[in-house]
Amino acid sequence: MNLWKDFNQGIVRENPVLRLMIGLCPVLAVSNNAINALGMSIAVAFVLIGSNLVVALIRKVTPDEIRIPIFIIIISTFVTICDYVMQAYTPALYQALGVFVPLIVVNCIILGRAEAFAYKNPVLNSILDGVGMSLGFTLALVSIGVIREVLGAGSIFGFPLFDERIAATIMILPPGAFITIGCIMAFLNKMENKVL
Amino acid sequence: MGKIIKLGVTLGVFCVISAGMLAYVFMMTGPRIEANAKASFEGSLREVLPGAESFKSVAAPGAKSEIYEGYAGGNAVGLAVKIAPRGYSGEIVMLVGVDPELRVKGMKILSQRETPGLGTNVEKPKFQKQFIGKGVKDTIEPKKDIDAITGATISSRGVCEGVKTVLKDSEQYRKAKP
Repeated sequence: MNLWKDFNQGIVRENPVLRLMIGLCPVLAVSNNAINALGMSIAVAFVLIGSNLVVALIRKVTPDEIRIPIFIIIISTFVTICDYVMQAYTPALYQALGVFVPLIVVNCIILGRAEAFAYKNPVLNSILDGVGMSLGFTLALVSIGVIREVLGAGSIFGFPLFDERIAATIMILPPGAFITIGCIMAFLNKMENKVL
Repeated sequence: MGKIIKLGVTLGVFCVISAGMLAYVFMMTGPRIEANAKASFEGSLREVLPGAESFKSVAAPGAKSEIYEGYAGGNAVGLAVKIAPRGYSGEIVMLVGVDPELRVKGMKILSQRETPGLGTNVEKPKFQKQFIGKGVKDTIEPKKDIDAITGATISSRGVCEGVKTVLKDSEQYRKAKP
């Protein structure tokens, strides 16, 4: 069955962040603690699955020449919906994520999947691709968030683990994001015994 | 020519559908977003000026800050003042509660973009409680009267300047008003 393959390729084998290395901007910016990472993942999952679904639905009536502007309209519609809904129902999370919610629109994972997958595949496969890619993104973002929060702030999902004075502040600053993401990639490559 | 029109119309149709959906979502969430913003600001006003039940925005000519007079049972019980001094990266928007004797009663950072882990510590109670009780005659200098945050002297100074301005503006406002 191809459906299973479409679903699970995004999780590890073609993990958008750790394998394809796309969408790194929000990953670096909002992974300084686990809650922000999870909130961002949910927002991206909503937009990605939604845009994959709609792009797959309309791919037969979309003229080839203007497919990119149409994708952008679809994606930005979902992002704006997400933005309003988060502002209305989760104001605290919205404030923490700040400008990165509207910036989901330029997250290359979403346009990338619309162009590379949803435009060429049926609706069900596209939804599964969206779910799989979102899971992969969530997995990567939340692992980075947890590692950075534990090492940099001495807490996990906001619960203190140990005295924050012995935590390495650099881990919640931008360099910590690069260090963490580099270590995870190195580890994954080692596991697969494969050099990029 | 015909093709351009066809493409334009297709794109237009997508835009109209999208605009319609957004208008619908905005209508559904708009009132809630507004209520959230209002509730969160009023909650902050209450936090910095405990005891006050309602607040009224008042005009303060010449002031660098926004002043809200707090009332409890019809009596003025102090001011809550919003100010945005310069921090290390951008403005630190903060709210300071001032009691009728013109002393700091409480404070809260509403938004800031300081360095995570350093400047963001201006939000910590340990730093903020040093300002409680300071009056307009007290000196408020970082590293002298106020323990500045290690590695965030500029952020600390910003908050000190903010509190100073708030006290000055409050005094001016009180003097102007009989």
